[in-house]
Parts: sequence; C-alpha cells; structure tokens
Amino acid sequence: MPYITVENLDKHFIVRKKREKGLLRDKTVIQALQQVSFSVERGELVGYIGPNGAGKSTTVKILSGILTPDGGSVQVGGRVPWKERREHVRHIGVVFGQRSQLWWDVPILDSFSLLKEIYRVPENDYRRRLDALTDALQLGDFLRTPLRLLSLGQRMRAELCGSLLHGPELLFLDEPTIGLDAVSKLALRDFLKEENARNGTTVLLTTHDMEDIAALCPRVMVLGHGKKLYDGALPDLLSRYDTQRILTVRYDNGAVLPELPDSCVVTREAEDIKIVYAPDQMPTAQLISRLQSAGTIRELTAQPQNIDHLIAAMYREMDL
Amino acid sequence: MKSYLSVFRMRWRMELQYRGAVVGGFFCQVFFGLILVALYRALYQSKPQAMPIASVTTYVWLQQAFFRMLLASDADLLDKIRSGSIAYDLCRPLNLYGYYYARILAQKLLGSLMRAAPMFIFAALLPAGWGLSAPVSLSALLVSVAGLLLGLCCVCALENITMAITMRTLDSRGVQAMLNLLMMTFSGNILPLTLFPDSWQKVITLLPYAQLLDAPIRLYTGEWPLSEAPRVLALQAAWTIALVGLGLLLWKRHQKKLVIQGG
Repeated sequence: MPYITVENLDKHFIVRKKREKGLLRDKTVIQALQQVSFSVERGELVGYIGPNGAGKSTTVKILSGILTPDGGSVQVGGRVPWKERREHVRHIGVVFGQRSQLWWDVPILDSFSLLKEIYRVPENDYRRRLDALTDALQLGDFLRTPLRLLSLGQRMRAELCGSLLHGPELLFLDEPTIGLDAVSKLALRDFLKEENARNGTTVLLTTHDMEDIAALCPRVMVLGHGKKLYDGALPDLLSRYDTQRILTVRYDNGAVLPELPDSCVVTREAEDIKIVYAPDQMPTAQLISRLQSAGTIRELTAQPQNIDHLIAAMYREMDL
Repeated sequence: MKSYLSVFRMRWRMELQYRGAVVGGFFCQVFFGLILVALYRALYQSKPQAMPIASVTTYVWLQQAFFRMLLASDADLLDKIRSGSIAYDLCRPLNLYGYYYARILAQKLLGSLMRAAPMFIFAALLPAGWGLSAPVSLSALLVSVAGLLLGLCCVCALENITMAITMRTLDSRGVQAMLNLLMMTFSGNILPLTLFPDSWQKVITLLPYAQLLDAPIRLYTGEWPLSEAPRVLALQAAWTIALVGLGLLLWKRHQKKLVIQGG
C-alpha cells in the first residue's frame, strides 16, 4: 500500500471581482484542483511542478491537513489529513518558502526548543537531531541570534531545521530555495538528498527552480489548471521537448558566416555567434563542417537547450 | 497542556524583548492617570459624589496599571491570519484555539505586570487624595487578585473570538474598533463604572467587559464587601466558560472554511 494515496481530488475557491461600474461584485469560481489522483511510495523524492496558479500549493495544503477538499479522498500513512489533523501533522514537516515559522524576535534556538515541546520530542532525540541538523545546515554560528538579524539564506536553513526537528516521515517543501545564492542552494540540495537517503524521509518538492528538480527528484508530476498532466521521470518528460541544441562559435578574425537553412536561428553577441538548431533537421556534423569552411574557428561550444526553455515550451504546448 | 505552557513561556520571553515599549507605555499611562485624577478632583470640588475621592483615584491608577490587559494588541496574530502564516500554525499538533489563547494570555499578563509594578510605586508615592490607596484588607487584596486573573481569562476569550471572526473577514479593524470602544467604555477605563447612574450599573457590571478590572477594583477598594466575592467570582467564571465555549465553536467552524491564498 502506497504511503500517500490521492484519488479524484477536487477543490474550488470563490473569488469576488468588483465590477467596473457600481458597487456590485461578481463571483468567479476557480477550480483549483480537478480530479487529481496519484500515489507516492515511502521514501520517494517527488517534484511537483506547474505554472503559477496551477494548484500545487493547494495540493500541499490539503495533504498537510490545512485545507478541506470539496471531493475525493486522501490517505497519508493511513490517515485522512484534514479529519485527523493533529495526529497527522505530528508526522509531517512543512517548509513554506515564503512564510516563516520561527519567532521573529527571539533567538532561533528558543524557537527550536518551543517546537520540541510542541511536538513532544524526547530530550535525547532532540539533542541528537539538533546536533546533526546544526552540523549539516551549518547553523552553529547563529543559533543564538534572533531570526530578524539573519540573512535570507541563513533563515531558510533555520526554517528547514525547524521543520525536521521532530523527525517527520514526510516533508513538504514549497519553494525552499527561493532567493538563495548558488552556494546555499547547492548545500540545501545535498542536505535534502542525504536526509532522504539516511532517514528514508518522503519528500514532495514544489518549486519553479527546475535545477532543484533535476538535481533531486527522480520523479516529477506536472500540474496545470488544476489537472495532472504528467507523472514520470523528468528526462522522459524533457526529451519530448528537447529537440534543439545550441552551438556557440567564435572565429579568429571576422569570418563571414555561411548560408544556413531557415531552421537555424542565429544571434550575435560581440564576437560570439550563437546558433540554435534542431539536430534532426540539421545534423551537427554537417553544421560544423559548414562553419569550418568559413574560416578558422577559435572556440566552439555545444550546449543543450536550457531546462527553463524546455519547461516553457512544455507549458506552451499544454496551453498553460 | 505542556505544549501550551511552552507557548505561553515563549510569548512571555518575547514580551521581555520590548523594554522600550514598557517605558513608553508607563509614561503614557502616568500622563493619562494624572489628567484623569486632576479631572475628578476638580469635579469633586464643585460637586462631591457618594464615592470617596480616594476610591476614585485608586480606581484610576489600577485601571492605568493594567491598561495593557484591556485592548487587543497582539498584531502578530492578526497578521498571521491576514498574511497566511497561520498555515504554519495549522501544521502543529495543537488545538489552535488553545495555542492562540496561551499567546494572548502571556502577552496581556506579562505586558501589564511589567507596566503595573512601576506604576504602583509611582502612584503610592503621590500625596493623599491623588494616589493609590492600600486595599481595604488582606483578604480583599487576595480576592481581587483572583478576580483579576479570572477577568483576564474572560478578556482573553473575548479577544480570541475577534481572532475567529478575523478568520472569516480577514480584516480585524472593524470588529476590533467596536470591541475596543465597548471595552474602553464598559471596563470603566474612560469613566469609572462606579460613577455611572445606579440603574446603569445594575446592567453594565454584569457585562464581560466589567469583569476584567471593574470587579476586582471594587473588591480591592471594599466598595463591594467580601461577602459579595463569591457572586463576583462565579459571574466571572460563568462568562469565561461561555466565551471560551463560543470561541472554540467559532474556531472550529471557521477553521474548516479557511482559505490560504497564494504560494
């Protein structure tokens, strides 16, 4: 039996819009989730993506017991989240990247010990976990600093520590790397991978950062307009849209670029000439030999299409 | 219960961070206290009332000392509901009503104790007829402290109902402005309830607003003899139970309909 089972989940919201004239307001029903079904096994790392307003956060809020859906069924570890909220949340950890769970004016260590009390973590377990997390997330320097004095990266690490102190079986991450610099981002990813490998924590990651997903999640689910559009491995998904390559070439001295078919898009940036082409229409070897005929090549780099472009292409095709 | 106690302690510690606000609050309350006392002295000079002036000034100073208990002031909590950070609180294995009750109680209790202590010293040093008089007896003091605590429980329940309403309306200002007005008037902060017409007093002393400060002060000054104490405490307890019950009910209902928008 899977750890999370979601069947035909429905949720709508009512949004009131003011009319252009007069005082009346129109009611609009927004179907945030429509018949969403999926299941997740214990210990899986699942990426949950989709454009803004697709219903990702709504799903997370339902799975964490905050919202009550209109229809459908959900079981997490044998419990219905919104019916047995208090028992359910004891086993989960949540990080909402845009909000804070730690107390603003007090040292983060105090917030942690409050969380210890709230989740009734035994003193020994707490010590052990806190030490491990302090180490892994490098919190040692600012455990006694009030939250308001921390940088965004420090704060996010502290938030993550707060969500993991009680050793949750399931971790929801809602944009955990938003606004982080490269170093913090990489450290956070490594940490999540390790946490998953060592403790078998099931992770559901919601983000717009495709690098996060590529680095962490063997499986992704794509949501759009409240419907599930894809569920499977990320490379499989991308290969459908991954039809183009980029070749950047720099000549020794002002060579004239040969005629290229219309399927190749050429842009110039100073000395660099960037060619976006589709290998199945213009084989790479053929393109290179044409470029060579124009002059002496000093530099040549080949890159795959940026992952964000692929996702954008996918969203476009899916009409999101 | 232990979890709620920890929340209480945490909020208590947070309150200790705002020492500047304590000093500011103290001077503000001293200012208002002095003006009110001067006003009542002027009033009494032209037309003495049944209640002795010393009782009125004591009433004023006790009101000022515990002013912090009166008004809803935990902006953090309302902000949480407005901004959606309440999502985090909903992810805790706690009853949210109890969680917020503990926070409100801690803030009101410590916030006012920190202001009340210097206020007592200040008001006791004022000349007779201006300041704070001693309680009529030791037992009256004990009973009034008990009454103050019960009254506080009652007011916290009242404030938690505002929270529950805010969960539906998202904007607390309307409800709060109304509650604050009722509170200022019927708690005796603007005009001691003892100076209201007798026929009015029969009703307003029964309202929950009067339970916080008016009732314990009357026990303190001896305006209500000790024999009245059981009746007062029973009324306070009844209000507390009723308001906590109503709050729990509203929270439970509104929690189900809660919507948290955006990211």
